[in-house]
Amino acid sequence: MQTDRLAPRAAYLLVGVGGLIMLAPFYFMFVFATHSRTEIFNLPPPLFFGQDFMLNLGILTSKIPFWRSLGWSLYVALASTALTLVFCSMGGYAFAMFEFRFKKQLFTLVLGTMLLPSFLGMIPTFMIMDAFGWIDQPRALYIPGAASAFGIFMMRQFVLSSIPKDLIEAARMDGCGELGIYWRIVMPLLAPAMGTLGLITFIASWNNFIGPLIVMRSPEMYTLPLALRSMQSPVNTEWGAVMAGSAIATLPLLVLFAIASRRLIDGLTAGAVK
Amino acid sequence: MSSLPLDSPPAAAPRAKGWSLSPAMAPYVLISPFVILFAIFGLFPLVFSFYLAFQSWEPTAGLSTMKFVGLENFAFAITDEWFWKSLRNTAWLAFAAGVPQHVVSIPLAYFIHTSFKRTRNMAVGAYFLPYITSTVAISMMFGTLFSTDYGLINITLHAMSEWPGIGWMFPSHPIDWLNRAENVKPAISMVVFWRYVGFNTVLYLAALQTIPKDIYEAATMDGAGRWQQFWYITIPSLKPMIFFGVTLSVVGGLQLFEEPFILTGGRGGTDQAGMTTAMYMYRTAFEFNDFGTASALSWLLFVFVAVLTWLTNLAFKPRGGSH
Amino acid sequence: MHNKTTATHRRNILAGAAAAALLSLVSAGALAQQTLTVAAFPAVDEIAKSAIPMWKKKHPDVEIKVISRAFADHHTAMTTALSTSSNLPDVMVVEYGYVGRFAEGGGLEDLGSAPYNIKAQQARFVPYAYRQATTNAGTVVAVPSDIGPGTLLYRTDLLKKANVTEADMTQSWDAFVASGVKIKAATGAYLVAHARDIKDIVIRSDIKPGEGLYIDNKGKVLVDSPRFVRAFTLAKAVREQKLDGKINAWSNEWSEGFKRGTIATQLSGAWLAGHLNNWLAPDTKGLWRAAQLPEKAYGSWGGSFYTIPKGGKNKALAFEFIQMMTLTPEVQLSAFKSQDAFPALIDVHNDAFFDQPIDFLGGQKARLLWRDASRKIAAVDVNKLDPIAEEIVNTEMDKVLDQGKDIPTALADAKALLERRVRR
Repeated sequence: MQTDRLAPRAAYLLVGVGGLIMLAPFYFMFVFATHSRTEIFNLPPPLFFGQDFMLNLGILTSKIPFWRSLGWSLYVALASTALTLVFCSMGGYAFAMFEFRFKKQLFTLVLGTMLLPSFLGMIPTFMIMDAFGWIDQPRALYIPGAASAFGIFMMRQFVLSSIPKDLIEAARMDGCGELGIYWRIVMPLLAPAMGTLGLITFIASWNNFIGPLIVMRSPEMYTLPLALRSMQSPVNTEWGAVMAGSAIATLPLLVLFAIASRRLIDGLTAGAVK
Repeated sequence: MSSLPLDSPPAAAPRAKGWSLSPAMAPYVLISPFVILFAIFGLFPLVFSFYLAFQSWEPTAGLSTMKFVGLENFAFAITDEWFWKSLRNTAWLAFAAGVPQHVVSIPLAYFIHTSFKRTRNMAVGAYFLPYITSTVAISMMFGTLFSTDYGLINITLHAMSEWPGIGWMFPSHPIDWLNRAENVKPAISMVVFWRYVGFNTVLYLAALQTIPKDIYEAATMDGAGRWQQFWYITIPSLKPMIFFGVTLSVVGGLQLFEEPFILTGGRGGTDQAGMTTAMYMYRTAFEFNDFGTASALSWLLFVFVAVLTWLTNLAFKPRGGSH
Repeated sequence: MHNKTTATHRRNILAGAAAAALLSLVSAGALAQQTLTVAAFPAVDEIAKSAIPMWKKKHPDVEIKVISRAFADHHTAMTTALSTSSNLPDVMVVEYGYVGRFAEGGGLEDLGSAPYNIKAQQARFVPYAYRQATTNAGTVVAVPSDIGPGTLLYRTDLLKKANVTEADMTQSWDAFVASGVKIKAATGAYLVAHARDIKDIVIRSDIKPGEGLYIDNKGKVLVDSPRFVRAFTLAKAVREQKLDGKINAWSNEWSEGFKRGTIATQLSGAWLAGHLNNWLAPDTKGLWRAAQLPEKAYGSWGGSFYTIPKGGKNKALAFEFIQMMTLTPEVQLSAFKSQDAFPALIDVHNDAFFDQPIDFLGGQKARLLWRDASRKIAAVDVNKLDPIAEEIVNTEMDKVLDQGKDIPTALADAKALLERRVRR
């Protein structure tokens, strides 16, 4: 990084204050997790931590199989992330670097599916899962997700912006096989993009709620969003427990982000073209 | 990252000679796993919803009750004033929430990229956190923050209005955020902006990582200042990513559903001021039990989104060279 | 960590079709232990779960699995399941607002005729609830389990300050609004949380036989009938005199209004007293009283029904479970005691529990009041366009209240919009 001169302090201040504003609602989630629902509904709401966290956790674990749902969420998110990264990096690379038949049409079609809201696919998706016998199976959540239009699009854009064509050509000249090129040259260069896509995929899977709503019938197979939502009713919701659940559910994402961001932001020397 | 099998490929190990995949065949091999899944899980629902758009169907009576009605659903949708109202709402929200996201996130990413060292992760984290917050929590919190008489937003605004010097910029009366038609949209836009600005920042940061450093070094040698570097190196290099980000915002903005849905209790607020087209579709399907019309609506929306995406593409084409 | 798993997943996908076919065979294989699935939402799920021990005594070999989803999610999931007639639960709980929609769809078993013959038990249920479960074609597709008789909850302390009596408030709607003016002047409190609440009950009063709520049985749109004019006029009067707080139910402001005493009355289901006591405003204990709705209006706020989807598997067992939940006095009573689920079963309406004073309502024997109300509520014919009609009317109501649109124009617009839908 070049630091020719210190950026003006005002800019730092602005970024700092902006960051605090961004964090405020997040802070409240953790604060609410430690209060009873009666207190949460006070106005103004509680601004500091209370003592009811364990109480909320007790309500939570008695009403829903919370830890089990957490486990399923983790399993599905990890599987989904791994599959998506492999398939989408392969596909995105092919779209960016090769010419093949119907490439344009196929890509347009892929983008096209991004343009339709997901709940419209609810009934047909349910039909497919039913035909495959995948109802109540975690694979119904992570396999379809691996064909992510978003992932293909993103990988393609990354390959276009960061991998020079002549690098690939040079590797071919050196007698490197096609899969070897993908594996040894493209993959390492895509690492930051992989980190980003991995993070986004994980988060999307973690917070996905329409998917599990369609395919999961048994409470013991519920992922977190479904389990937490199953505690809500228009007339009687244990908000304190729901907030505690939401707060705990956010922790794995925080950890993941901490790990991924280090990799993301420490960056890689993209100086492969030498 | 950690979940990458960096030492063994998904397919058999590519010993440089053993696996000779010809360049002509390579793309087909690379793309096949994706295409197979895509055909089953992406394309079938698409085709089904297209078929449905020409049917009249009462879903709770089962699949056998579909009746072909030709273009009737489309005719109804085009003459439906609520559809146009929802489209206007959607366009307003997509613009008001989408444009600031990029205007803020590109300079922010650049600034973090160049000027933050140790605190970089903290800074990125703060902006990214809203994106990982669950919907349940968001609905609770903003319900509280937007409260008219006791909400923190109004309390803060009121406190600011009493400051000397800058007070005139802030309203002195509490704003009724979610019960007045004219305030519902700004409130939703704020939440959408809050939720996605960090996501875009991370996207741009990742793209900034891939710009070779030596370009900047060369530019520094030539005596180019920060602004010039930003303008002549960073922005052009980011182009494919900006195209990606803007496309996502267009697509996401026009399909805005979750935030307005939770903030307005599923109805769209007073006089449906916050009812987006995606919300109207959802309600047509699951509340009014009319999947045929909902599908027709979605295809009409699809046309709008496609046109706008195509325009985005055009805007990036002339000098981008990525298409 | 994923090298192995990724490779296995890939193989899995390749073997996907074959495996899927096999799996469906395996999963369809008969299990030694029979399971009855019950799909519900809070708090009906709790009630069903607490009845499992009783069920186990009769059927030690049949497991009961309660599938709970959030209220709206449950009905969305049920719509999806009904649409493809697959993966349906054996027993489906349906809420009052959805029973008409699901009933007219035709995906639910007719419980009125053989082998179920619930018609023979008709006299044991609160009349309106039983009628509500009957389709326009005369089939009975649901069995009522709990009901929400409407009531007026009011703050005695605020009324006292304003010199207003209960009789002043309830003799007519106009008197109710007039009392609101007095209360506002004396205490500053709002009469109601939202003007819409009054509209909602007035349009439901005084419905003639053969009329639905919005559309009659001949397909005629009724939203410009005197009922609606009156409802809109009253709501507008409340808004213009600043008697409502523009507060939506279940919002933070709502609970805060109850806590601080800035909302003087609430038109709602009888169950609200329980929520106020448990968490909405526990500190206001003793300050509230219940009355019948103004102008002898009798209405219903919610309630749940048990149904059997046609695509379900264990129909005989499912019906047995439903009978246990709806026709067993002890189950109905314990649900009333633990979850404020007012029984639809008349057998228990003479239980001593009804005579007990309610501390939260200052010792009032309010359950007797609600029992009387439950007998007088009229069932309303449902129409599949009711949800859209409600949305149309609410939107025009917003325009009248917030933008000063005049009532005749608003109702004419609502009628035109709804007629467009009816013609389809």
